[in-house]
Amino acid sequence: MIREGIKTMLSNLGNPYRMEEIDTPVDDLEKHINKLHPTLIMINPVLIPKMVTLPRDSESDCNPLFIGLITENASIQTKSKFDILLNLDGDRNELFKTMEKVMQLLGKTQNETDNNTLSERELSILKLVALGNTNNEIAERLFISTHTVMTHRKNITRKLGIKTVSGLTVYAILNQHIKMEEIQASE
Amino acid sequence: MRINKDMKMAEVIHLNHHLLPILNRFDIHLGFGERSVEAVCKDHELNINFFLEIVNTFHDATYFPVRHLQSFKASMLIDYLQKTHAYYLELKIPEIGQYIRLITQEENLQTSHKKLLQDFFDSYQLELTTHINKEEQRVYPYVISLENVLDNPASTIDDLSELSKYSIHEYEEDHDDVEAKLFDLKNIIIKYLPPSKNNRLLNVILHEIFELERDLNNHGHIEDLILVPIVENMEKALRERLKNLSGNA
Repeated sequence: MIREGIKTMLSNLGNPYRMEEIDTPVDDLEKHINKLHPTLIMINPVLIPKMVTLPRDSESDCNPLFIGLITENASIQTKSKFDILLNLDGDRNELFKTMEKVMQLLGKTQNETDNNTLSERELSILKLVALGNTNNEIAERLFISTHTVMTHRKNITRKLGIKTVSGLTVYAILNQHIKMEEIQASE
Repeated sequence: MRINKDMKMAEVIHLNHHLLPILNRFDIHLGFGERSVEAVCKDHELNINFFLEIVNTFHDATYFPVRHLQSFKASMLIDYLQKTHAYYLELKIPEIGQYIRLITQEENLQTSHKKLLQDFFDSYQLELTTHINKEEQRVYPYVISLENVLDNPASTIDDLSELSKYSIHEYEEDHDDVEAKLFDLKNIIIKYLPPSKNNRLLNVILHEIFELERDLNNHGHIEDLILVPIVENMEKALRERLKNLSGNA
């Protein structure tokens, strides 16, 4: 029943989403996270009493938000494990406020979803990627760190919805940021 | 709504016609009259429970009964996965390829842009084909051998120890890269292609890509969340048996 309620609530928020339900024991959780790259994970700690710590990997670029589905009388220890608490005893308003907070934390405010024009810097990086440069080469060219290059690339992907290098190349040519001849020259 | 064995097969199609390709994989085709799901499965000599779990996981993305699916024979699952591969490589991809060729022939695009789209799709086709071939040539035969050795009570220590050298994790291929290209193609068509004389055709292509993506997604989940654990269990059983046999030698 709780799952059905959550599904209804999520669809009322209006953002597109995909939901996976897992029935496995918690030692599989890390594997699922690595396979599915979720943004949010909702867990009812009552169903997994043996879970001591949540699997968080600071090294990976996938850092989901852990939401605990708890009741008022959950222990402080349990509550402290999660990033956000969803109170199962709460009324509708409380639940919606909590979900809004979640959406804010994820940075999905109206402004962000409408803004998909690339900045000057992102455009330069896009061109260099499309011409076949590696992150290191781009970092050297622009006098920035490789880490910064990767962040820019993530933003470019988020704004355009294009992940692969060949996809970015097609985008760059169609939008006349680079020409076909430039690509052939760089090969 | 969960699909069950007492429904008419015709009702299943009314409920979700996207299931048609899935049915085809089991060699079930249109024209089933009033027959129930159970009757059709009997006619085709199918394991009705396996059939129901497969169609239900496809029909409802939130339904994925990992434990149920893991109780089926690996060879039955592999057979289904192979038929799915055949669907992609022999039907779906060539079909989309045809449409793309049509677009690039009649299009208002510059020649260079036509080549761009064609090349992009061709390289996607190559990546997917390579990925699938690797699975068919390495992973699936290994799983079948493993099951055969375990099912045979007369398997020798040599047979067992030969197979114990391998592990499914060596073969695990990342599905992400292949998915990413399709995702990009989708976005390029939706957002970035210049205005076209051939809008109808572009709509068709996009629709086909959405269907393919959904199918690939479901397929990837079955491989990662079902096949891999089944094989892990078999590998564990293999090691146990080896230990017992060696202990008694």
